Amino acid sequence: MIELSASFMVVAYIMVVGITIGAIAALLQKDLLRAAFISGAESIALAFLFQALLAPDLGLTQAIVGTVLLPGIIIVGIFKTRRTEEE
Amino acid sequence: MIEVTIQLLSFFAAAALVIIGITGMLFLDNLIKKIIAFILLSDGVNLMLVAVGYVEGGIVSILLPGMSPSEFASKAILVFPVGIVLTNIVISVSTTAVLVALVIMLYRRYGTLKSSKVLKEERR
Amino acid sequence: MIESISNLWSIPLLVMIPIFATIIVNLLFNRNKAIKYISLISALSLVVITLLSPYGFQWFTGQPALNPNTLTFTFDASIPAWRMALEFYFGPLQQALIFVMALILVLVIGIATNGLTKNQGPYIGMIFLLFASAAIIVMVNDLYHLWIGVEIGSLVVAGVVAASGEGISQKAALKYTFFSALSGAGLAIALALILGLTGYSNISDAIRYIQTTNLNGMSSILYVAFGFFTLSWIYAGGLVPIHPLKSEVYGAAFPHGTAMLQTQSKLMLVAIGLVMLRLFGSLPFAREVMLSISVLTMMLGVVMALLQTDLRWILAYLIVSHSGLVTVGISLGTYDALVGGLFQAVNDVLYMSVLLLGCEAVYYLGNGTSTKTAAGIAKKAPWLALAVVLGTFAASGIPPFNGFQSEIILIQSALKVGLPEVAVVILILSVTTFIALFRAIYSIFLRPADTTHLVVSGLIPSEAQEVGKETPIPRGLYLSLAILVVITLILGVYPDLVIRFLTPVAQAVSIPWYP
Repeated sequence: MIELSASFMVVAYIMVVGITIGAIAALLQKDLLRAAFISGAESIALAFLFQALLAPDLGLTQAIVGTVLLPGIIIVGIFKTRRTEEE
Repeated sequence: MIEVTIQLLSFFAAAALVIIGITGMLFLDNLIKKIIAFILLSDGVNLMLVAVGYVEGGIVSILLPGMSPSEFASKAILVFPVGIVLTNIVISVSTTAVLVALVIMLYRRYGTLKSSKVLKEERR
Repeated sequence: MIESISNLWSIPLLVMIPIFATIIVNLLFNRNKAIKYISLISALSLVVITLLSPYGFQWFTGQPALNPNTLTFTFDASIPAWRMALEFYFGPLQQALIFVMALILVLVIGIATNGLTKNQGPYIGMIFLLFASAAIIVMVNDLYHLWIGVEIGSLVVAGVVAASGEGISQKAALKYTFFSALSGAGLAIALALILGLTGYSNISDAIRYIQTTNLNGMSSILYVAFGFFTLSWIYAGGLVPIHPLKSEVYGAAFPHGTAMLQTQSKLMLVAIGLVMLRLFGSLPFAREVMLSISVLTMMLGVVMALLQTDLRWILAYLIVSHSGLVTVGISLGTYDALVGGLFQAVNDVLYMSVLLLGCEAVYYLGNGTSTKTAAGIAKKAPWLALAVVLGTFAASGIPPFNGFQSEIILIQSALKVGLPEVAVVILILSVTTFIALFRAIYSIFLRPADTTHLVVSGLIPSEAQEVGKETPIPRGLYLSLAILVVITLILGVYPDLVIRFLTPVAQAVSIPWYP
């Protein structure tokens, strides 16, 4: 049986802090490419939190979609428009 | 004293993500950042859905051999929110793709990504 | 047609045929003749299926319902039992609404396949998906499929609007899709809250749980869920805070696309409004909030319509304000008001389609639809002028047409409940609709044409852009106008043809109004 251990609690604390800081940091960047990468990092923290919440299939899906697909679409958008935010 | 569990922490994180996402979508100026805020909003909604289904001291919802169905039903986490979240992930990828396509078309026509210039109402 | 079947064959067909048609038509990218035949056959088959289908359920988990008194499983739909399933229901209300939408789908496809765009495949596919999303939302009885239908509908609206290729339509599509993303997330949060509170996502089960258990102070969760549902309702119909966004969507699309868009919107309004009435109707102040949003929509929409100088934009604001009329009926919640509101939805779809198809014909004949540049069309097309004038009479609630029948039921129900202010607002809406439309009709049809060069406005498709050369109108357009005008006349004289489909739902859902 897969049992819950106290290490999940530590993981959950670290990941919750990481998610909140990552979300705020991603929206405050001037360089849009860095904003896309930080949102990818925040998606990985969310994938760890899904595993701590006992949904490992969602952790795998969120890890792939949040790091490859969604930042990929945003990077295509940045490539066709402009890289930095205007004043 | 309220006991701090993983479920409570997840609800706080989900609320924070939803608030950051909604504020970003409404008040940020750059169109690409509005799309990144939408991604954060749907991440928050997914986290909230999974946290609703969490069972304290439970097991992953896999029926292993040797487990009786009633023991499985009482200890496993709820499976329906997992289905909703998978659907939500697909929907958010599609919506992001449509939004980025529209932003690219508008950039080609107007030359700027500032929403105050692009999304202004035209005089008719 | 009174018996209830438990695994009805027509419910999956009504959802699958549009989706298959979308896929096939998308693959035939620009073979326009093949696209025309396939899409017309699919649309006609949808009309036939809706007419011939009996009433019944479709349960997605395949299991029977659990009778709580005897704790046995049953397939009998008339015994109150816990469904515990994802459920679709096809009843008289669904038959009436989906039949009207299928009819408009046939007419719109007949017009759209006559070549406004070069690659017709994706555009016709998106029109089919509009039908599929509205059909899902009308037939559904659980929150999960309701949310899926709303999300499908929101993405497809962006596609249909952006297909007309002008700058203003792409801007309208982007603004509207941002708001639809917000409302979709809100609906998912409401789903999570109700799932967490009651443990069921099936709407009937959730209602029985809320009514039979003591919630112990968790009832404030219901208010939060009600708030998110109201956000989705406002998004679906373009009600008060976002009426500029939705009117831009209606005005910037091609007029036949707008006809399909407004049908989908009104059906979404009706379905989500009925779900809100069932789940939250007994919460204090819930129906007052819905009623105030509806009244504000009626007033603000029609005031904006008076200020416009282009027939497309007048119609866009009028569609939004008439959506307020439908939601007044649903918000009041009594038996008469529900019958009036649902009947108003059916009538509204029909006469707005008459006006929009007339606007499309003016588009071809008059070098654009602005009241400043188009003139003297009554000489070129007298039957078109007659059809648009009859559509105006229907929209303003003048007796032998169908608008009168539904508005009189709404006014009487508002007076019966004890709210004469609402009745006054409905009358003001009727009169102002008449004024706004007749100003445009005078300028476009009855005013004599100038002999100087007409200014070409920026809203013309490329085919009709040569000044002085007339573009042939699609052959289906006059036939569609005739069919729709005849239907509005018949429904105005015999309203019972539709009302008998609406009374079962009104009886089951209605709540008395406590002042």
